[in-house]
Amino acid sequence: MELSDSQIIERTLAGEPDAFNALVRRWERQIYGLTLRMLGRDDEAKDATQETFLSAYRNLSKFRGEAKFSSWIYRIALNTCNTKLRSRSRFTISLDEQRETSGFELAADTEDLGSGIQQEQVTRHVRRALQGLPSEMRQVIIMKEYEGLKFSEIADVLGIPISTVKTRMYTGLTELRKRLEHLREAV
Amino acid sequence: MKLEMSGEEMNSTPKTPNCNMHEALVAYLYDEAAPDENRRVKAHLTECSACEQELQAFERVRGMLQQWQLDDLPVLRVVTEPSSVKRSMVAALKELFWVTPVWAKALGAVATAMLVLAVMGTDVSIGRDGFSFHANLLGRPQTAPVNTNEKTSGSLNGANIEQVRTEVRSLVNQLIAESERQQKEQIEAQLVSLEAQLQTMHTTDLAKLASRIQEHQARLKTIERDLDRREGLDLTDILFSEVSKPSERITGGGD
Repeated sequence: MELSDSQIIERTLAGEPDAFNALVRRWERQIYGLTLRMLGRDDEAKDATQETFLSAYRNLSKFRGEAKFSSWIYRIALNTCNTKLRSRSRFTISLDEQRETSGFELAADTEDLGSGIQQEQVTRHVRRALQGLPSEMRQVIIMKEYEGLKFSEIADVLGIPISTVKTRMYTGLTELRKRLEHLREAV
Repeated sequence: MKLEMSGEEMNSTPKTPNCNMHEALVAYLYDEAAPDENRRVKAHLTECSACEQELQAFERVRGMLQQWQLDDLPVLRVVTEPSSVKRSMVAALKELFWVTPVWAKALGAVATAMLVLAVMGTDVSIGRDGFSFHANLLGRPQTAPVNTNEKTSGSLNGANIEQVRTEVRSLVNQLIAESERQQKEQIEAQLVSLEAQLQTMHTTDLAKLASRIQEHQARLKTIERDLDRREGLDLTDILFSEVSKPSERITGGGD
């Protein structure tokens, strides 16, 4: 039978450090997905994922059993991402670097957007549109769309009311709609 | 741990439709509306085309968002630091027991037995009269040592003691040799396992590299095709414009 998160934590705290690896394997995909979509850069996301799990391991004795481990680890991951985002000045990115990270531009006419390469371009635009959102909207959208959390769970992770989560979601979707409207024929 | 926010709270209600339905609309979009809220949204959507359009637009945005899926996962190896996690005494003793060699365990067992006997007031001695044993479990005053050998197998002489020592020595040597052999086997097994793991990681890395190279090649080809297509269109435009002008003149002259 598969151990629950709480049981693995108990074992780790009882002196089985290897037990924690099971927890890492269980959650690494979700945490990497979250950090990648929050930060937009693969290398930074890998670092943030490592830092998240190390931080969780070091603070495992402070974990309160009444909260869900998923909420706790997501919160650590978001804090790690926010620290990285604060240290990164968005205004210092040169145009060349922006072009380099975003790849070549989407063709002005979207006549052939049905083929494979254009789908890749749509993904790239989605990525950039998400990066352009304020962090508090982005994290709500990522947790909802990609991690599949319920509004109540997102509220729990962020420590805010559910109504605020829904408002951020609505505003974020409205912003994304404006930024991605020109791609509507592609999808 | 409290999440620090950047400060921009959503105080202003979104303005697109003036229906003030944004929370209900989002809950409906993600199938999280309560039954009565669900009915209210459905009824509203039949009357309000703005909200209806907005909902459709959000669904399109969701479709686009879902195109960004992860196909690669980094290999994570979190280095655990045993000192940072509080271990119970029992767990520490258990771990110590498993890492101790067999001969050390045997010596430890003998020493523990001697210690227990000493605490219980038992006197064990080997002298000229042979092996003597005296127990004083209830703390009664000691009497003359009882020579147990007289009751069992008679007296042990010096040669017998030497023989016992030799046997004990050979037994300890055997235990040491056995322990060393076991440790050697364990190390060999670990080396084999490590080699297999390294091989697997190597193969995985190679496969990832190969797939990335293929992906880049495909991307390059597509870019080349795109460039060729654009160049081709430009050339056609030029040719078409050059050819069309005389024909237009001819047609115009005919009229």
